[in-house]
Amino acid sequence: MKKLLGLAIVLALFVSLAAGCQKTPEAPPAAGEPQDKELNLFTWEGMFPEEVLARFEEETGIKVNYSNFDYNETMLAKLEASGGGDYDLVIADDYILEAVIAGGLAQKLDLSKIPNIEHVNPIYQGQFYDPNDEYTVPYGAGVQTIVYNPDAVQKDITGYSDLWDPSLKDSVGTIANYRVINGMALKVLGESYNTEDLEVIEAAGQKLLELAPNIRVIKDDNLQDDLLSGEVDVAVMYTSQVTMAKLANPDLKVVFPTEGIGFGIMAKFIPSKAPHPDAAHKFINFILDPEVSAECFEWLGYYCTNKAADELINPEFRDFLTLPEGFNEDMEMIRVVGAEAEEVHTRIWTEFKAACGQS
Amino acid sequence: MNTEIRRGSPAVLMTGGEPRKRKASFRRLFDAATISVVPIYVFTLLFVVGPLVYMVVLSFLKRAETWGVLREFTWANYSNILKPVYLKTFYESLKLASFTTLFVALVGYPFGYFMARLTAVWKRRMMLLLMIPFWTSSLIRLYGWIIIFRANGTLDNILMGIGLTKAPLKLLYTYSAVVVGMIYALVPFMIFAVYSSAEKLDWQLVEAARDLGATPWQAFITVSFRLTLPGLLSGVVLTFIPSMGLFFIADILGGNKVILVGNLIQEQLMKARNWPFAAALSVVLMILTSIMIALYRKVSGVKDLEGLV
Repeated sequence: MKKLLGLAIVLALFVSLAAGCQKTPEAPPAAGEPQDKELNLFTWEGMFPEEVLARFEEETGIKVNYSNFDYNETMLAKLEASGGGDYDLVIADDYILEAVIAGGLAQKLDLSKIPNIEHVNPIYQGQFYDPNDEYTVPYGAGVQTIVYNPDAVQKDITGYSDLWDPSLKDSVGTIANYRVINGMALKVLGESYNTEDLEVIEAAGQKLLELAPNIRVIKDDNLQDDLLSGEVDVAVMYTSQVTMAKLANPDLKVVFPTEGIGFGIMAKFIPSKAPHPDAAHKFINFILDPEVSAECFEWLGYYCTNKAADELINPEFRDFLTLPEGFNEDMEMIRVVGAEAEEVHTRIWTEFKAACGQS
Repeated sequence: MNTEIRRGSPAVLMTGGEPRKRKASFRRLFDAATISVVPIYVFTLLFVVGPLVYMVVLSFLKRAETWGVLREFTWANYSNILKPVYLKTFYESLKLASFTTLFVALVGYPFGYFMARLTAVWKRRMMLLLMIPFWTSSLIRLYGWIIIFRANGTLDNILMGIGLTKAPLKLLYTYSAVVVGMIYALVPFMIFAVYSSAEKLDWQLVEAARDLGATPWQAFITVSFRLTLPGLLSGVVLTFIPSMGLFFIADILGGNKVILVGNLIQEQLMKARNWPFAAALSVVLMILTSIMIALYRKVSGVKDLEGLV
């Protein structure tokens, strides 16, 4: 009997402990709390220079807790699991933002707390994922461009269609993003990246098969190394890679393809139940300061979305971190397409890669 | 007579023997040995059986418009595999796996066999030398091959230095580079498998064969080879099966141009977000490998994989 009683007490203790555990994290921050002392930042690894984060902590007394994700999808899953809580500020890619906002996982920004918002380059605003700029503030932008070594390539490359030239046999490298590379063929055919016309996508697949003999390597990581070592003479690359390649070899030529370009934007948003929204607003405003922005973009190597920061960027970086003079709106963002179109895309991509291995 | 009847009577069994037995087995349920096994069972159920069932179920579901899956039954993922491009992936994987296994056997068998004939000290030294590379991540070791193969890399410099070639060979991102990488990654498994069965070999049998007039080659074929065959076969299994799934070698050394089932699964899962199709591919791959293991058991008559256990 005594034993039973002991057991009951232990059990009761456990239950109350468990109940206690459940409650603590869900407790909302006390209303009218004067100052947030923490900021839970959630994004890819290495999005800000250490010094910038340290300066923010020093100036505001807010501690930045940096957590990483590898894929946008992981971020979405975590945010869904916490119901839009846990994190105060997230930076992610455009296409996933559409899902985040549609799922009610982001909160409207209080623009009165972000006076520096006026510096944002309007080219990057009003995008499909947030047409009225209510939830997001753009951070880095990526533009997939062609980079080539003029010493090794006789031809003057001006657009995607030049990559099909037989003189480039076995000397082209591309990133392994199938929507970008399939999209390249779509652009050459004069179509949209986001077409859901299956026949058009199939036609792009046929077009890609003709490109196969020119492809030497397809990879996402460090493609710039292959361009620099002479493994390939031409490469279709992500912006961060273009930056690294240009810094190592300023003679390389960067081409904005005549067919038009695709670009991607990563943007900041505050989750709907962020525990420290005030700190998040402060952080957004801090980063939008032109000088801080310039420092961030030089470090990040993505296109600068802060117009006031453009001229502050070191001239060494300026011509590949800011859009060229006379840049037109000839750009289209790559968006999520329906399951059927997606399936054709992955199939023609696999066929393309297999064809590259055969030739 | 009387006692015999009593012993056999159901009444006695009911009151005497049975309850006592039941008590004993009840106690056995909670003895140390049983309890110590429970974690393994729970672990297996949670982390092996659970995901496996999840994957099989997933392979019969439909993908959702953007991401996730719908709870609708479909065969489409399996019929999708029958498309020429995906069937070709399986064919390519089998081809590369066969190539790799053949070369690995050619290199690894003699190595393991002769290693077993070394003195105890040298055996230990060789073992250590074989183990040392495993202290480094296999991914990093593969990057080493890039340095060797790349244009104007180590190999090019040597070949051009001794005047064998004039211009850099384009070695990286070729099929041969992938095969070399595969052999490099898998040869230790073959060596260990052959070694462990050659070690158990009774060399007196070889001597006996020689005494009875067999040539060294005949003695090897009729005695040593026969007796080390289980090791060779388990080496084959240990090489063939992983080589169907080592997607990163084809990625890194093949420049993504050699597509194996492993690459396809990885891409469908991580990039195309088509989980059901990736699951269906995995299920088919698993069935293929199970057939391989069943064949191995049938041919070798051994239930366990030599070298691993």
